[in-house]
Amino acid sequence: MIALDVRHLSKRFHSGQYPAVNNVSFSMQQGEILVLVGPSGCGKTTTLRLIAGLERPDSGEIYLDGQVAASREVFLPPEQRGIGMVFQDHALFPHLNVYDNIAFGLRGRPSVEIRQTVHELLDMVGLEPLVKRFPHALSGGERQRVALARALAPHPVLVLMDEPFSSLDTDLRLEMREQVRSLLKAMNASVVFVTHDQEEALYMGDRLAVFQQGQLEQLGTPEQVFQNSATRFVAEFMGNSAFLSGEVIPGGIRTEVGLVSQPVDLPTGSRVELAVRVDDLDFYPDPTGNAVIVERIFRGVQNVYRLRLDSGLTLQAFKEHITMLPVGQRIQAKLNPGHPLNVFLTSH
Amino acid sequence: MNRSDAPMPPALVSPWQRLRAASNRLTTRSASPVLLAGLAGLVALFLAVPVVYIFLRAVGADAEAWQRLLQVRLWKLLGNTLLLMLAVTGGALVIGASMAWLTERSDLPGRKYFRWMFALPLAIPAYIGGIVHLALLRPRGGMLPRLLENLLGQPVYTPSPLGFWGAAFILILFTFPYVYLLSGAAFRSQHASLEEAARMLGYRPLRTFFSVTLPAMRPGLLAGALLVALDILAEYGTVALLRYETFSSAIFVQLSGRYDRSAAAVLSGVLVGLAVIILWAELHSQGQARFTQMESSWRPAPIVRLGKWRIPALLVAAGVTFTSLLVPVGVLTTWSIQAVLDPETLRSVLHSGSMGFSNFAWNSLWTSFLAALLAITLSVPVALFSVRHPSRVSRLIARVCQVGYAIPGVVIALSLVLLVNRALPFLYATPLIVVIAYVLRHVPQAVRASEAALNQVSATLEEAARVSGRTAVQAFVQVTFPLILPGLLAGGALVFLTSLKELPATLLLRPAGFDTLAVRVWVWANDGFYVQAAPAALLLVLISAVPLSFLLRREQIFK
Amino acid sequence: MSFYRLTSLLFILVLLLTACTPASPVTPEVPTAAAKLPDSTDVPTDVAATETVDQTISGKLVIYSGRSEPLIQPVIDAFKAEHPEVEVLLKAGSNSEIANALIEEQANTQADLFITTELFTVQSLSQQGIFQPYRPAAADLLPPEFVDPNNNWIGLTLRARVIMYNTDLVAPEDLPTSIFDLTDPKWKGKIAAAGSTNGSMQAQIAAMRQLLGEEETEAWLQGLLDNEVTFFGGHTDVRKAVGAGEFALGLVNHYYYHLQLDEGSKVGVIYPDQGDGQLGLITNATAVAVVKGAQNVPAAQAFVDFLVSEQGQKIFAEQNYEYPLLPGVPLREGVQPLESFRLAEVNIAEAALDSDATFDLMEKLELP
Repeated sequence: MIALDVRHLSKRFHSGQYPAVNNVSFSMQQGEILVLVGPSGCGKTTTLRLIAGLERPDSGEIYLDGQVAASREVFLPPEQRGIGMVFQDHALFPHLNVYDNIAFGLRGRPSVEIRQTVHELLDMVGLEPLVKRFPHALSGGERQRVALARALAPHPVLVLMDEPFSSLDTDLRLEMREQVRSLLKAMNASVVFVTHDQEEALYMGDRLAVFQQGQLEQLGTPEQVFQNSATRFVAEFMGNSAFLSGEVIPGGIRTEVGLVSQPVDLPTGSRVELAVRVDDLDFYPDPTGNAVIVERIFRGVQNVYRLRLDSGLTLQAFKEHITMLPVGQRIQAKLNPGHPLNVFLTSH
Repeated sequence: MNRSDAPMPPALVSPWQRLRAASNRLTTRSASPVLLAGLAGLVALFLAVPVVYIFLRAVGADAEAWQRLLQVRLWKLLGNTLLLMLAVTGGALVIGASMAWLTERSDLPGRKYFRWMFALPLAIPAYIGGIVHLALLRPRGGMLPRLLENLLGQPVYTPSPLGFWGAAFILILFTFPYVYLLSGAAFRSQHASLEEAARMLGYRPLRTFFSVTLPAMRPGLLAGALLVALDILAEYGTVALLRYETFSSAIFVQLSGRYDRSAAAVLSGVLVGLAVIILWAELHSQGQARFTQMESSWRPAPIVRLGKWRIPALLVAAGVTFTSLLVPVGVLTTWSIQAVLDPETLRSVLHSGSMGFSNFAWNSLWTSFLAALLAITLSVPVALFSVRHPSRVSRLIARVCQVGYAIPGVVIALSLVLLVNRALPFLYATPLIVVIAYVLRHVPQAVRASEAALNQVSATLEEAARVSGRTAVQAFVQVTFPLILPGLLAGGALVFLTSLKELPATLLLRPAGFDTLAVRVWVWANDGFYVQAAPAALLLVLISAVPLSFLLRREQIFK
Repeated sequence: MSFYRLTSLLFILVLLLTACTPASPVTPEVPTAAAKLPDSTDVPTDVAATETVDQTISGKLVIYSGRSEPLIQPVIDAFKAEHPEVEVLLKAGSNSEIANALIEEQANTQADLFITTELFTVQSLSQQGIFQPYRPAAADLLPPEFVDPNNNWIGLTLRARVIMYNTDLVAPEDLPTSIFDLTDPKWKGKIAAAGSTNGSMQAQIAAMRQLLGEEETEAWLQGLLDNEVTFFGGHTDVRKAVGAGEFALGLVNHYYYHLQLDEGSKVGVIYPDQGDGQLGLITNATAVAVVKGAQNVPAAQAFVDFLVSEQGQKIFAEQNYEYPLLPGVPLREGVQPLESFRLAEVNIAEAALDSDATFDLMEKLELP
């Protein structure tokens, strides 16, 4: 069953240079977690707010559970869409305690049902003892969980989460990520999750939608998006890729650091760029090599080396932490990916 | 594909396009802004009408009226007014900032009590302070000169409270608390590291104070100074009492003199023009006042030990409190006791006016209360619109709503008399028109309070309520309103306080038989009946102290 | 939580209240509405009782007074004692302030009666058609020059412009005899007077302009200014200051001398300009007029009747030492009869035409 269907959605702000959301279409299944990911200002949050009904689209349609929520003729206000939302700053009502915050969306239901639902959720997020507390007396993680419980309480057709972990510190973020994902899966909730953190996106999402400048660049599973990036931007954003230029020859691509033998669906002689991640490059000391070490960054379990190729291009590669090579050391670099690299035609 | 996508040079964008773009923005944000914008626009219109009307009257006055005023009075009035404004602003800055330094940054003995003592003169209208000091200090006839003469057996020269110096003295005494409160907050919020950095860079303490501490407080000081300046432009009672002619008192005289309103309109136009300039500067400084706010790494700056200066500082602080608070309250109390003890005076106090004492006390209360309620109610849509939907339009509306600061009571009264009598004759000469004058003049305070309160409440709370199934109105009532209520109450308390003290507009607009405490005090004191005036004045001060202490208790240090 | 519910509820209540308020704007006047009620229900009896108008007057009576409140309140109190059903509402201010209000309100009349402290204002307003004629029965008894030929106003009392002095500060041989002595440098800084907003002072200047001409009046005023005369807002300040010895001389209405004497001060009085070729004593008449469009004409007329009745005139004479215009009402003991003085003769009608010129003069000299 389709939980959310977005068609040709566009939104432009008065002040913006380009549309905040530009002709975006996608749909998602019941029980799916779809992550909208992209750099700040890419349109992912605006898309989320359009789905929530907090913004009015310029054009395009939004269907929730098969019902039209926004179109040329129809605009359902947020309160009529039956959506749950977790905000970046949690937006807990400071004048209500934990219980009343969670019960806020249940208004109008029999009080027995409200009590039961709230306690179910409190139990699920593990906050039963804090039921009488007010938001200012909660820790960051506790607030996070109350916000989630509040969003889930009315059993919404769709849960929207807007960078929900960004206000937490790193350790807590990792912990919450796991807890929240398993909770959402346990409830079989349909979730649209917004983040700018690609690692979080890869972890949380059943599918990822990568945004840039208001446009949907790629929609796919985390693996697809990571390994088969549709555009140069996706490859760059999702894997911190560097780009190595090369030329298509029969049987592969010729580059500065040697031949990459992988099938390429491009005519021979095309100028291309290969997305090279830190794990795709190997090197060894060689006084007659093709690159020089310009910096060593100690990362604990590994050393990341910045290598300058003779062409001037800088790439990164890592070695185990016991391997220490001095800056200035001449080395021979070569590609050693063990999988096909993403290849993009060089523009202009 | 979309023609309007192309950026256009500003000059080529027609006003119509701008309007359309603006309205587009209004409608797209969410469903309610159109209504909200309409409401806020109506409030702004309501507030702007009297000013615009006075301007039109001033511009439309015949050339002869302008010429006569230009020849004889305008320059002198302008000089008088500006001179007093500068003197009082300067004096209030010096006293306010130095008292703030003493209570916030030094080990002045009893500084906890002095904080209250320095803020409480705000409960005393300047003209009541003026009445007391005039009775005390009037050359030869004052209580102090006569006491000295009796003690020493010969007349002793004492400074006169009349004229420029007297008016400046009295007005400094009763306006310095504005500067005190604002600079006190600035001193408190200042980073310790700021001064420490200067010391590390080789600055001596005194030089540090003048080159780092004070400049860092500039926004707070400037805001206080401009508030005082606006207050002086609007001041009527004190300057009239102490016989120093400024625009406000000259307009009043014009109104009660010749049978021609155009001269008064011309003077009002010039006065409002002057005030608008200062208000503009004040609004500008508001935007910059931000850099005095606290950050998370804030640490209070250390207390300075006064050492041998402790006693002199204590004497100065006590002197300021004595003249601005203890003397007025003490004298009013003494007079009130005299009035109560003398049966004939008591009878004249209780049965004075058309309706008697309790009636005008009640009038003061209900008009000020209603004004506070209306001002707050009007301020909410304006604040909601400007805080939640920032745009050029909403900013313009919020600015227009500040205009009340720039219309002195006399001018509001003149404008309302002329306007209401023609447009809404049924409102004319009702107590409601007095309330309208209070609202027009004091809405800016309410708007500022509401904006401040709304800024504390994240917009996502309202969105969370919307997503949880509440309409925009329900979200406001159930979430926003309870959270901004304390801020709204503070705004209301401020409007209530300033309306209680209002004099010139009430004097000019009240219907026959309608007195307030302020009017009653003024009428009695003007006829020289100080003892009769005292109970009403004391009651006015005591009532004013209630909202004032509520406002002060909201501040950390007054808790 | 319950606190917030409570406050929300309160807010809504308050909103409702505010929404309702404009509909019933004049909350404190509820008693008035109640007092008026019989009017509308008792229409037939009202018509039947026309011959005894005095008995049935009721409602609100709005009086605009140029006489300051303490000087009119005793008469109002006495009137209220006779007519308890009438609610008297008073607005007191300077003559010109009140006159401005009356002009402003021509199309939207608020006042029923106007009481003034000099005739220039009332004459000027009368020419502008602000009043409606009413001639009380007692008008025939008053000196004819104090009753408007068109019956638009009627005089009440006379006051003399005198110089009061502090007997401790001024030796008998030094006493001034003319208002022109006030410009003598020997009094520099020792004189108090009322300022330009005071009706009696305005009237004195208007009278002098008519009697002496613009130039001489201006020279006299300039002389006062050069002599550092202190101008107060009202005469009460002047009399108290002279009584306290703050000033040697005060230019006042004659009764201020008596009021100050009552307080036990050592003060004396001079009725100036009695010599040959001198101006004569300047007097001001107080007057009353019924405003055109008055809401409560019966009460207004009854009040005028009361003011010129023996009882009303007695109050002015007894409580305020004024010269009643109704013959036969005795002066308060100690008040010197006007018959013993030579009075300056002013043509009121003529001076009234020129009232703006008086304001121009005061403005030109920057009289405080």
